[in-house]
Amino acid sequence: MDAATDLAPLLTAVAGGDRMALRAVYERQSVRLFGVANAILRDRDAAADALQDAFVKIARRADQFDPGRGSPEAWLAGIVRYAALDLARARGREMPTDDPALGDQPVAADALDRVAAHAEGRRLRECLSTLEERNRRGIVLAFVHGMSHAQIAAQLELPLGTVKAWIRRGLLRLRECLA
Amino acid sequence: MSAPLLSPEARDAMAAEYVLGTLEAREAALVAAALPHDGALAEAVAGWEARLAPLVALALPEAPPPGLWDRIERALAPAPDPAPPKGSAAAPPKGWWNRLLDPWRAGAIGATAVAAGLAALLVLRPAPEPRLMTVLLTDRDQPAWLVEADRAGIRLASLNTRPAPSDRALQLWALPQGATAPTSLGLIPADGRVTVSPTTIRPSPGMLIEITLEPPGGSPTGRPTGPIQFIGRLSAATGA
Repeated sequence: MDAATDLAPLLTAVAGGDRMALRAVYERQSVRLFGVANAILRDRDAAADALQDAFVKIARRADQFDPGRGSPEAWLAGIVRYAALDLARARGREMPTDDPALGDQPVAADALDRVAAHAEGRRLRECLSTLEERNRRGIVLAFVHGMSHAQIAAQLELPLGTVKAWIRRGLLRLRECLA
Repeated sequence: MSAPLLSPEARDAMAAEYVLGTLEAREAALVAAALPHDGALAEAVAGWEARLAPLVALALPEAPPPGLWDRIERALAPAPDPAPPKGSAAAPPKGWWNRLLDPWRAGAIGATAVAAGLAALLVLRPAPEPRLMTVLLTDRDQPAWLVEADRAGIRLASLNTRPAPSDRALQLWALPQGATAPTSLGLIPADGRVTVSPTTIRPSPGMLIEITLEPPGGSPTGRPTGPIQFIGRLSAATGA
């Protein structure tokens, strides 16, 4: 049984208050999920705080997981992302990021291939590849690295209004393409 | 149920940027607070979560620090007794009220950001019955807690609060207008969700709600002893 097939029953057990099941979820997923939090916060201490906050929420909300709406992995990653984004905002995200290399490079083709590793990612990869590079990079910097409009504008050395408009346009194009 | 003043396009754009993560703290907090009550918004957010979810694969896996599971387990331990800690009859520390009236704090209480936030919340979330609300801000004017009160009691939801230091506790207090001493509403558990029954205190417009940092188990005196972390004043959210 692989991780994908046994996570859903584990979440059912977590919903029933099973602490060992939660620990099993942590053991299977914490390396991936810590990476999700740390990509946003770029600070291991803060990422640990976010992951702790997320697992407390996972324990309390496991009964809200609906297998009809997506995979257990996506549900877990969503909770971790929102926890990390909240923390990034609380830490004053409107400052330019301290990592000047972030966003310097186009989104690498092999990175996009990781997006397409699962069936639901294949169409997203195709649709992302139809976007202009700058739109694609803005969306990835926001979603994966938790950057604000202002940070993306500073990083790409573009006016704030331009970045906001590109991201909005990129999202609309993605929606049409995925429809 | 959908928000009456938000077009489907505006709602979808807001949902998209909520999921993407580009909304500012206050906007994101308002969307998060509206989600349980606004089915159309929740649907739009779920749609964007499904569209963008595969992008998380771009984050490189990384081992968390050892000991994190133990921290999580401690955070999940049964919360301390939420009943107000028993206090001696000691007089409130001098200066507690003055600190409330400190101009900097007063600015935070009356910040236009709060008023704007509540207005936006009403757009997103039609209120079926009169209710009292406030947003407690951090010292950097970031929304930290959403407080709602009505006949069913007072409810607190954590927006983007960092947990209290492990050797301290967050304690919730209410001070009705005209009262000279605050009433403890109990300690705030690690998950930040608090519900206070209306028998403990009757919410009223103008009531101050505040959170102080106290020793584990709560204030030993029954009055706030630690620094005020967050503060706000309940006001009617119906505008009536």
